[in-house]
Amino acid sequence: MRRTAILLGGVAVLALLLTPATGAATSRGAARAAAAAGQDDIPALEARGRQLYQNACASCHGPDPNGPSYYPRVPSLRDTGGAAAVDWAVRTGRMPWKDNKGPAIERGEPRFGEEDIRALAVYVGRAVGDAQIPDVDPARGNLQRGRDLYGQACAACHGMNGAGAALGGENIAVSLQDVEPIDVAEAIKIGPGQMPVGGGLPDYEFGTAQSRQDVDDIAAYVESLRTTPYNRGGAPIGGKGPVPEGFVAWVIGLGILVLAARWIAGRG
Amino acid sequence: MMIERSLKYVDERLGTASLARKALRKVFPDHWSFLLGEIALFSLVVLVFTGTFLTFFYTPSVQDVVYDGPYAPLQGQHVTAAYDSVMRISFEVRAGLLMRQTHHWAALVFVASIVIHLCRVFFTGAFRRPREVNWLIGILLLFLALGEGFTGYSLPDDLLSGIGLRIFYAVTLAIPVIGTWVTYLLFGGEFPAGDIISRLFVFHIMLLPALLLALVGVHIAILVLQKHTQFPGHGRTERNVVGKRLWPEQTFKSVSLLLFVTAVLALLGGIAQINPVWQYGPFEPFNVTSPAQPDWYIGFLDGALRLGPPWDLTLWGFTTSEVFWPAVLFPGIAFGILTLWPWIERRFTKDRAEHHLLDRPRDTPVRTGIGAAGLMVFFIMFLEGGNDIFGVLLNVSVETITRILQWGLVIAPIVTFLVTYWICKGLSRTRLRPAEVNAGVRLSRTPEGGYETVPLEPTSVDGDRTPAATGPHSE
Amino acid sequence: MTDSDQGSERVDVDRQTEHGPSNVELSGGQRRAERRAGIALAVAIVAGIGLFVVYFSGGQTQVEGILFAIAFGGLGIALGLWANHLLDAREVVEERHELTSGPAGRQAFEDALVEEVGPVIARRSLLLRLLAGAGGALGLALLLPVLSLGPAPGNSLKVTPWRRGSRVVDEEGEPVQLNQLPENGFLTVFPEGHAGAADAQTLLIRVRPGSLELPADRMAGVPDGTHIAYSKICTHAGCPVGLYRAESQSLLCPCHQSQFDVAHGGKPFFGPAARPLPQLLLSVDDKNILVAQGDFTEPVGPAFWDRGRR
Repeated sequence: MRRTAILLGGVAVLALLLTPATGAATSRGAARAAAAAGQDDIPALEARGRQLYQNACASCHGPDPNGPSYYPRVPSLRDTGGAAAVDWAVRTGRMPWKDNKGPAIERGEPRFGEEDIRALAVYVGRAVGDAQIPDVDPARGNLQRGRDLYGQACAACHGMNGAGAALGGENIAVSLQDVEPIDVAEAIKIGPGQMPVGGGLPDYEFGTAQSRQDVDDIAAYVESLRTTPYNRGGAPIGGKGPVPEGFVAWVIGLGILVLAARWIAGRG
Repeated sequence: MMIERSLKYVDERLGTASLARKALRKVFPDHWSFLLGEIALFSLVVLVFTGTFLTFFYTPSVQDVVYDGPYAPLQGQHVTAAYDSVMRISFEVRAGLLMRQTHHWAALVFVASIVIHLCRVFFTGAFRRPREVNWLIGILLLFLALGEGFTGYSLPDDLLSGIGLRIFYAVTLAIPVIGTWVTYLLFGGEFPAGDIISRLFVFHIMLLPALLLALVGVHIAILVLQKHTQFPGHGRTERNVVGKRLWPEQTFKSVSLLLFVTAVLALLGGIAQINPVWQYGPFEPFNVTSPAQPDWYIGFLDGALRLGPPWDLTLWGFTTSEVFWPAVLFPGIAFGILTLWPWIERRFTKDRAEHHLLDRPRDTPVRTGIGAAGLMVFFIMFLEGGNDIFGVLLNVSVETITRILQWGLVIAPIVTFLVTYWICKGLSRTRLRPAEVNAGVRLSRTPEGGYETVPLEPTSVDGDRTPAATGPHSE
Repeated sequence: MTDSDQGSERVDVDRQTEHGPSNVELSGGQRRAERRAGIALAVAIVAGIGLFVVYFSGGQTQVEGILFAIAFGGLGIALGLWANHLLDAREVVEERHELTSGPAGRQAFEDALVEEVGPVIARRSLLLRLLAGAGGALGLALLLPVLSLGPAPGNSLKVTPWRRGSRVVDEEGEPVQLNQLPENGFLTVFPEGHAGAADAQTLLIRVRPGSLELPADRMAGVPDGTHIAYSKICTHAGCPVGLYRAESQSLLCPCHQSQFDVAHGGKPFFGPAARPLPQLLLSVDDKNILVAQGDFTEPVGPAFWDRGRR
């Protein structure tokens, strides 16, 4: 009886765990865009940014963002994408660099507050002459066109459902199932890692109306992966496809059934 | 009563009563591992029921239609009628998604249970005379199940399964001499031949199921005719079957298992998303998605292809593709050995006797070792098939995983054989869970005047000393 | 497991005596089992009713799946408990009969087969041989309609729709201009009039200036020294090689991780692919639109038997 209860309880817990949790969409991207467009005290931000840069970044990237870095594998910030690159890297916790054990520099919690990130971005952006943060709004984007563009330019690496994949060597195309629209826009602008500048879009040029529309469209699709993932079939098990599905079939499906067979057969 | 009168009606015309009574008393041994084949059978039942439902809604056509269903990102897109029908099943038909997912989970569990049942039969030596024919039928059933699964998940014409079809096209192309002709015959032309979806449909709902169901019937009929094997133990000999009757015990148990299988598959079909084709989108021959894997049971082939060396061979202008070695030669040899195993083993053991008592795996260390090594080969291929996913999970590059597994493919089976052999020998020696009831000891006087105990040889109840019944001493 | 193990009894299936229930009173364990089975069935009934409610109020996949599981599972538990505790279960022994018919039986079968067919077989006449021949010919002929399933391969695997002067278009059919792509931009292109054609799919990449290392005749097909085009069909198993890695300027095929070096002629440097991606030589027409100089110089995609023969 106890074993039966445990079995049933385990299944119930399993069911609860596998039921997808509804996520609330944050709107940090919108706040960011508003702040960027607002009236900031640029000189004060720049000063603060310089101070932060000297403390946290200069030891690898060199004393001058526009100059060379200290190590061959560390890029100079001169042409990595300016303010957008700093904003993206620091806000997603990739920078300052932690010890990464594996292929890619991992996302994490940002180690600076929003104001400090803004200050860094302003300082570096003005120093290298590329101070613009993309202005992106998925609400302006066309979901269907975005899906189409995504399929052409992004799906090969990031997966049609944004699951992400290994790219060989030390590279990973990250999962896009929980990223902000600003992440998408900034990544397309700067082309981090193995990603090309322009994100593979055929006629991308930062600042043009066409490119802004393209990015809005793609951001709309990526946003839909997060807000309306259409996981109506149940727990997505990571969305990585048949490999985890096979694992579940063996461990949970066949596992429960073998236990059931043992119970049914008794001590035969 | 109504039941009595109905029984009388049928019996007067078909003579069923005496036949059925004899059948109901048939004895089946009661070990849990004998139920594994039934898990496969009942998964098949679920597949047939859910599959029939799906057939009413699926359109096996590549005709171009415009999608206008509830999945917003695809609205207005041009898709094939096949893909559109599967979207309709998933989004608009009530209980459609439940049936579709249950069907797919049932397919995964179906093949898994066949494999585990095959392992039970292999490791206990149940394929020996007189059951070689049933072994062949079982292997054939495995192939049919693989074919059913592959054709089935390719029917929605989505991006992921379409990529799989492309690879299958390349594999058939890699067959030497006749490859191009066979491929064109199967597909109806150059990839992506438009006919392929409707042909897969014919295979999936008609040709393969017909063969599958017929062979399952023969498989069970032979089992009933020859009676089931049993593990050696108290009262069990080569000349009898000890267990429970078909009615009522085994019937209740089998129906209970059927209900459990249905319950588990329905549970998975409801709460675990599988093959979300709307996320992958419709198949376009110039698009691709990552990660790209087939369903688990084809995963070993995917892994073999990833492990395969880049050696193509061109002689006098005729090319043997590098795909040939991992995808044509290796499965041919591996499944050939598997199919012919009863005769391969007999050649070495020279054992032509009838066997109705099973071996404990520990008592046949060579066979168990080879089986374990074979499973390890397939396991390595399965791991490689998911190398990009494991790479992200374990923070290791795919190149590292591939190199390790390439070496592993050579080393691991040998190590597995040796370790398994050693474990079997060790277990045999310790007499853990002896197969026989302890027959006791004999007390005797020593010449010095003390006492010594000598354990008696375990025998079965009616004194029948068959070789398999003496457990640890068989070799 | 049965609570009242009476040991095994030897039974001949053909002559089994009737057994009534040996004990009318249920033991404690059996009463427990009966109670649990009852609860399981009651839960199953509730779940079954729940299914009606859910279905007719619009349906919900997760709830339906769980309710089905509870309903079937409840029934399964009840029957399992019944089988193991509430039946008068005892171990039964059945004798195995000889499976073989024996040499006498087989001889009788052979005789029965042969004696009806008459003296013709015994004499092995011409008729038998003609019968075999007709059977063989007809059998083979019956397979002929199968050949209608597929056209003869002919040359089709060795050619694509690309021709000399074919304008390069994207998947919507829009012509592609020189310098349209940004640096490290890539685009899937087709010959004009065949947008979307599977065997013609080509990847146009604009690489960093000066980064290509190709022999002269291949560089002649790279407009501006940066616009290089390779067949997008992986030479291993045919998947579209869509993953372009901008920093290393290499392509990764997601199916089996073959990796191709764009700057060095599309040569594979890791993975199971054996042959480089065929390059499509391009030039520019007078309207600055990219055009092909001809078809690929070798068959695209996976290898096949007569690949090397024209």
